[in-house]
Amino acid sequence: MTNAPADSPPDGGSIDLTVHLGRLRLPNPILVASGTFGYAKEMVDFVDLHRLGGIVPKTITPRPRPGNVPWRTIETSAGLLNSIGLDNDGVEAFLRHQLPFLLGCAAPVIVSIAGADQREFVQIADRLEGVPGIAALELNISCPNVSHGVDLGTDPEACRSVVAGVRGVSRLPILAKLTPNVTSIADVARGARDGGADALTVINTCQGMAVDWRRRKPLLGNVVGGLSGPAIKPIALRCVHQVRRAVDTPIIGVGGIMTIDDVMEFLVTGASAVQVGTASFAEPRSSTRLLDALPAALAEAGVTRVADFVGTIRLPGAPQAPSSPQPH
Amino acid sequence: MSHRQTAANTYRLRVECPGIAAAAVAGQFAMLRIADRVDPLLGRPLAVYDTYRSAEDDAPQGEISERRFADFVYVVHGRFTTALKSLAPGERMTLWGPLGNGYREVPTTGHLLLVAGGIGQTALLTLGRDRAAAGEKVTFCWGASRGAAFGDIDDFRRAGLDVHLATLDGSSGKRGTVIDLLDSLFPRSGAAETDAPRHVACCGPDGMMAAVSRWSEGRGLGCHVSLEAPMACGIGICFTCVARVKDAEGGWDYKRTCIEGPVFAATSIDWS
Ligand SMILES: Cc1cc2nc3c(=O)[nH]c(=O)nc-3n(C[C@H](O)[C@H](O)[C@H](O)COP(=O)(O)OP(=O)(O)OC[C@H]3O[C@@H](n4cnc5c(N)ncnc54)[C@H](O)[C@@H]3O)c2cc1C
Ligand SMILES: Cc1cc2nc3c(=O)[nH]c(=O)nc-3n(C[C@H](O)[C@H](O)[C@H](O)COP(=O)(O)O)c2cc1C
Ligand code: FES
Repeated sequence: MTNAPADSPPDGGSIDLTVHLGRLRLPNPILVASGTFGYAKEMVDFVDLHRLGGIVPKTITPRPRPGNVPWRTIETSAGLLNSIGLDNDGVEAFLRHQLPFLLGCAAPVIVSIAGADQREFVQIADRLEGVPGIAALELNISCPNVSHGVDLGTDPEACRSVVAGVRGVSRLPILAKLTPNVTSIADVARGARDGGADALTVINTCQGMAVDWRRRKPLLGNVVGGLSGPAIKPIALRCVHQVRRAVDTPIIGVGGIMTIDDVMEFLVTGASAVQVGTASFAEPRSSTRLLDALPAALAEAGVTRVADFVGTIRLPGAPQAPSSPQPH
Repeated sequence: MSHRQTAANTYRLRVECPGIAAAAVAGQFAMLRIADRVDPLLGRPLAVYDTYRSAEDDAPQGEISERRFADFVYVVHGRFTTALKSLAPGERMTLWGPLGNGYREVPTTGHLLLVAGGIGQTALLTLGRDRAAAGEKVTFCWGASRGAAFGDIDDFRRAGLDVHLATLDGSSGKRGTVIDLLDSLFPRSGAAETDAPRHVACCGPDGMMAAVSRWSEGRGLGCHVSLEAPMACGIGICFTCVARVKDAEGGWDYKRTCIEGPVFAATSIDWS
């Protein structure tokens, strides 16, 4: 099973897969997550890139960063611990060497950006303003691998000010990517909403650690890192649920999605779309395989539009399912 | 799929994978995963040891493009290899490849020296056979902790290689490290110039490859190494497998060994 063209999609039939996330419209709800899909060109042999609902390339920073010392990932029970450390060549190299290919993929490109502080986020958003073809920005305010004093993703007011600052210089739709490593993700979600986020990406990795007791050493070069994969799916679902109850802003669910059942669980809990992350490592074709399976699963749920299924979970004590978020 | 033990803790697996078998060049690898399992979750890189037309062939035959099966030889180590060893009949595997650059840049010099440490021989068999078949002299030096670690040595002899072994405990071949073996075969002074190797290709643990790299440099020989950095994806999307590779300006950068390697000129690696 190598280098063969990906299977063509089954007849989507009458199911409408279109997704609206604030000002951002996507052809379908299956996106690929930042840092788990390279810059897309690595995936041409595996995935029909134009079929994706959206591509979020690896996070870029204002200046090049070498990233953390190996070991950078460790497999744990049903999970992957990583401390890549935002290894990237910086925004200018991205614009020159990566963006042209990405824009040729014919899928929406959501550029993931990170900075050490609010000023750097604004600076990089400003640099990207007016660059043709970018569909949206995703603000990675939640990377556990760059410690820089104030954590923009854990303080609601800091989160609000970063999002607002970026909105001040950018006309693009803005996604804020939230960390689960907080006491109240609902509070941070409110901060992002107040700052003007079009959508919230929920969640980034959960902080974790792996040790080798015989050598009495941590396994990651960076000592601690972020956990992803099936092990964190319950945490991600809980976060989607709590954010859904707190704000009306559309949600992109991410964390541990491997199977079509996982996708449906996120949608019913309140995510309007999902991102596939670690699954692309375990099986490079995961994203389009899930897309192939989606129409049948939605048909089984008895809906003809994906939006009609989003957030229809029946919670105890709430006989009426909450209505799905409306596009603004 | 067939499976047999070839040495202590070492198994050989034959898998039907025409896309890999018909395309792999020497030194390339594939990612193997037990399908639909979340534990182990990810694939693991294994060198394409050899390729065959059928499940029964015990020697490679026919054109490469007709090959449908690949053999992988692995040491039982951690989560994946332990699970692989006791794979139930009928369980599905997922494979992707062939991956990496392979030994394409190893020059033809008239005498190629292959050096393997531990399980590193898996990346060297087809390189040695291709070069021997093309008329080059190929010497193969293989070092391990003990003799029980060597398996299917005859594959290398049949491929036309001049095989020499070393073990730390002396249970097989020369007692000592593979460097001790190299020193005894090719003493620095008085060696008949015509008999000495002109280029080295190496695969094994990092420390051993760093030593072979220094040994080669000391004799003015070019050397290519195949790095065994841990990998999570094998295809360039995760940035796990990086090694420090020197650049032209005297600095270094982390390169993804799965797509820019795993084979590098030994002098380009920052071994520190
Ligand atoms: C290109 C290439 C070709 C290879 N070919 C072969 C081959 O032909 N035959 C073969 O036997 N092996 C080969 N290997 C090595 C093989 O991939 C590993 O030994 C394999 O991953 C073991 O998997 P495991 O699940 O059994 O062990 P794991 O459970 O993954 O771990 C094994 C040990 O490695 C260490 N380790 C785990 N994670 C990391 C990490 N992220 N970074 C550093 N060390 C870590 C730990 O000490 C652990 O005990 C190759 C590797 C590469 C890169
Ligand atoms: C190796 C690796 C690198 C990642 N790099 C980034 C990154 O650069 N930016 C980012 O926003 N998220 C990054 N993530 C987080 C993922 O985008 C995703 O939020 C997380 O892995 C949870 O999803 P999953 O369980 O499907 O992988 C990374 C995850 C992994 C495993
Ligand atoms: S193993 Fe994922 S980038 Fe090399």
